[in-house]
Amino acid sequence: MTTATAEPAAAPRRPPARVRRRRALAAVADHSILIAAAIAFLVPFVFMLLTALMSDSQALSPRLWPHPFRWSNFVDVFTKAPFMTWIGNTLMYSVLATIGVVVSSIPVAYALARMRWRGREAAFVIVLVALMLPPQVTVVPLYVMWAKIHPFGLNFIGTLWPVIIPAWFGDAFSIFLLRQFFLTIPEEYLDAARVDGCGEIRILTTVVVRLAKPAIAAVALFSFLYTFNDFFLPLLYTGESPNHWVLSIGLSEFRSLHQVQWNLTMAATLLVMAPVIVIFFLAQRVFVEGVTLTGVKG
Amino acid sequence: MSQSSVAGERLPAAALTVDRRRARRKAAWRRRGLVALFMSPWLVGFTVFFLYPLVMSAYLSFNHYDLLAPPRWVGWANYHYLFRQDPQVWTAIKNTLWLIVVLVPLQIAFAFGLAVMLTRARMGAGVFRTVFYLPALAPPVAATLAFVYILNPVTGPVNVLLGHLGIQGPLWFQDPHWSKPSLVGLGLWGVGTIMIIFLAAVLDVPRQLYESAELDGANTFQRMRWVTLPTISPVILFAVVLGVIQGLQYFTQAYVAAGVAAGQASQAADVTAVNLGYPQDSTLFYPVLLYEHGFTDFQMGYASAMAMLLLAVSFAVTLVIILNSKRWVHVAGPAR
Amino acid sequence: MRRVGTAIVALAALALLVVGAAMSSPRATPEAKSAPTKLTVWVGWSARELSVFKRVVAEYDKNNPNVTVDVVGSINDNKIVAAIRAGTAPDVVSSFNSYNVGVYCGTGGWINLAPLMAKDHISAGMFPAATQYYTQYNGVRCALPLLADTYGLYYNKTLFKAAGITSPPKTMSELAADAKKLTVRSSNGTVKVAGFDPVIGFYENVPERWITSFGGKWQDANGNSILSKDPAWTKWLTWQKSLVDWYGYNNLVRFQAGLGDEFSASNAFEAGKLAMNLDGEWRVAFIQAEHPNLNYGTAPMPVDDAHPELYGSGYINGTIIGIPKNGKHTAEAWALVKYLTTNSHALAELSNGLRNVPTTKASAVSPEIKPDAHFATFIKIFTNPKSTTSPITAAGVAYTNLVQHFATQWQAGQVKNLHSGLVSLDKQLDALVHQAKGPGVP
Repeated sequence: MTTATAEPAAAPRRPPARVRRRRALAAVADHSILIAAAIAFLVPFVFMLLTALMSDSQALSPRLWPHPFRWSNFVDVFTKAPFMTWIGNTLMYSVLATIGVVVSSIPVAYALARMRWRGREAAFVIVLVALMLPPQVTVVPLYVMWAKIHPFGLNFIGTLWPVIIPAWFGDAFSIFLLRQFFLTIPEEYLDAARVDGCGEIRILTTVVVRLAKPAIAAVALFSFLYTFNDFFLPLLYTGESPNHWVLSIGLSEFRSLHQVQWNLTMAATLLVMAPVIVIFFLAQRVFVEGVTLTGVKG
Repeated sequence: MSQSSVAGERLPAAALTVDRRRARRKAAWRRRGLVALFMSPWLVGFTVFFLYPLVMSAYLSFNHYDLLAPPRWVGWANYHYLFRQDPQVWTAIKNTLWLIVVLVPLQIAFAFGLAVMLTRARMGAGVFRTVFYLPALAPPVAATLAFVYILNPVTGPVNVLLGHLGIQGPLWFQDPHWSKPSLVGLGLWGVGTIMIIFLAAVLDVPRQLYESAELDGANTFQRMRWVTLPTISPVILFAVVLGVIQGLQYFTQAYVAAGVAAGQASQAADVTAVNLGYPQDSTLFYPVLLYEHGFTDFQMGYASAMAMLLLAVSFAVTLVIILNSKRWVHVAGPAR
Repeated sequence: MRRVGTAIVALAALALLVVGAAMSSPRATPEAKSAPTKLTVWVGWSARELSVFKRVVAEYDKNNPNVTVDVVGSINDNKIVAAIRAGTAPDVVSSFNSYNVGVYCGTGGWINLAPLMAKDHISAGMFPAATQYYTQYNGVRCALPLLADTYGLYYNKTLFKAAGITSPPKTMSELAADAKKLTVRSSNGTVKVAGFDPVIGFYENVPERWITSFGGKWQDANGNSILSKDPAWTKWLTWQKSLVDWYGYNNLVRFQAGLGDEFSASNAFEAGKLAMNLDGEWRVAFIQAEHPNLNYGTAPMPVDDAHPELYGSGYINGTIIGIPKNGKHTAEAWALVKYLTTNSHALAELSNGLRNVPTTKASAVSPEIKPDAHFATFIKIFTNPKSTTSPITAAGVAYTNLVQHFATQWQAGQVKNLHSGLVSLDKQLDALVHQAKGPGVP
């Protein structure tokens, strides 16, 4: 990222009062808009939290404030529905898919960035084309394919494997991101390794991976986040097998007999969001860096 | 872009002995083999999970197929029904176009505005940044459920509060005129990712560009119009393309919102076909209709035809945007 | 080289992981000859109703030691078709509605039961005519009825007394008048208690349950849609919209947004927010379980003023049961199906527990049926010869869904000219069926 050039050498003079006042007013105006926007952004979370603390009948009434505060709702979420199963399924899907994406995208990105071969640029464009294709376009034949394959007599439909396995064959977005970053690795590092007699594979696994840690971490985080929240494809393949459901599908399952329990649904929603928010807090910088890699250099 | 050099020296060909030339060729083949190896995951994936379904989808679009019986060739019948007879397809197309035309510019403008304000904020920029980014981390299903609940016309907190102020709130997700705007609100709530991208891009604009503009007498707005916007125009292009792609694939939020709002609150993951697009097809977007025809009416062949149309439109729109962009996108040179 | 070796080992381990994890999903394994045959039955019921069904099946289990039956509930048509196409279908499958019989029978997804019935001397005449219609398509009978639903009017006697109404309405004009009298509005004009909610799409309000009251027909003898030609449709839609407009369409939507979920204990009728409601016979059991002190009555739905002879009839539809193709235990599956659908004792037990209507002529008059004044109304509707059901087409549920879509636009005032709207609807319905069949099929 470019940095600011040197400031003028002279010490900054104090601007006249009129300018100072105008700047102060502008600052207040900016901050008040920011505060208002922040409140607007947080309001849905606040309502969700309030609803999560209500009893079932209160959640259905126009009441805004829970009375009493039912913190037990957060515990009920685990007892009223197989929340742990969903967490397990979601984690299995997210972790396996994330590992797959990282492991498979790194060599592809490296080949597109730092290896010289004919057709490299064309291949990059084709990789991008896959990004532009809506999943609904390919979903019908893929579903048919998974339905008809029965290796060793196993069924893929009803499990999460049809969504996990493709992750091990490269992901266009991750390849794009990693390629952009690999392009910033100075050629001298790689040349030095080559002069030392390293083969390309060795270079990739020792030099490049170590240098590209922020980008790889960003890719891992994005993959995890995306698969954690994935709804459409898991719904398609496991919609009829409740014990393979992920959290985003199970979220709508909080009901007694046939009625939605909104208080539990909101509590479950907050519980589902909590780990993602925690991860963000812990890795804020990686997130921002990773996000800017896609946009700024794109 | 520097290119990797082959392991070994680069000498004028005349000086190479036969051995050296053979060694060069072997090295070149080994390099190609390595490239193939490195590219192999993507090659396999692209062929199996992209090319194959694409070709199959094209084939199925000319068949009548419900998976219970084998595909039956019907020629152009599916396309004929698609363009001439499906009573809902034009509504679906219009809804998707509406969403793209309304949501994408709003998201970009909103994200840009927030980013600019964040750059000017002295205190607590980090806190604000976190707050604005949080909703983007929420799972789309959860966020949609929350919004439908919060915007319930009778029991939802928003209308209750408006009622205290003496205003009768609109019917939100129950009103065909408000359902799409409600979805837009949901989309704007989740604008954090684009905002962060814009924030980094705006922070990246070289300081002296502003300074020279100031010297020329430009005020704040002029500086934004003539310095900031052009400099970050590649990022804007990226956001536009991304937004359009997401708009063409918009499914989850519409699916969940329609089912829950239609009173099918108990089955947000299993919406009855008649409720898709509730109310009155106002939330019937093209991918939702595709899902309905393919997976609840079991008209797989017809759904493939719909998918082919979606593919054609996606390519066309992306191409148009990118070709058009040459006019307003300034490719950033190195900062001077 | 070591790296490559590691890679191969890793891939092999991954492959084993894939295989191992996938194998953890249950799979039917071939039975030893001495072990009882295991049958799996999929039904739509859940919770309380599911336990009733399981009880009846348990009895069959006890009397037939050569089979053990496993029951799975909460099934819908999407799951059924998905399972059939994925090859994981159970031995016996049941669906709550018959709309998709056209698809099931037409594609052979459910097997043809006629040869099995002939072998066991089960004739279709054991079942009332309406149920025969919705269990076959194009002459192929791939399903049998397993308890039916009939629809009538539920009315709150307490609210009736308060409004001074002595008997339930018998005609549409009486229904509208009573609804207006029973409606209570709050001070700001919103509806607090509705006499009747005429909105299509609300709870059980769908076109097919209304058109029987007007004697309307869906298709002519050639299977073409005649909604614009049969005056009953225009009459019904006009009546319906006038009542909607009296409330104000948006007022009704607002009212509905604050109501409880249909199948919860806060059901609007059970909670006293709705004085009259079109509902099915199963509601009797729900009220019994959730609001036993509710003072209510049941009656046939009111009918068109011009056709008083229709009074006493109603809409019939029902649960159907069949055997998916590629099943492994057809003989045992058929034995179970035969028991459930024709054995009067089993049907009576199910009827008593689920409060659904038993579907053979014999079981309808079985002494085992627990007498219940509320429920008796629905048995009478079931046996009324004028009662009708939905059309069965190759398009399945999409057919009636399209009509419902039209009705929802009409009631919101989005259709300018009813007649031309119905003419287009007819064209769309015919095109839909043609498309669903695929060209080249008559």
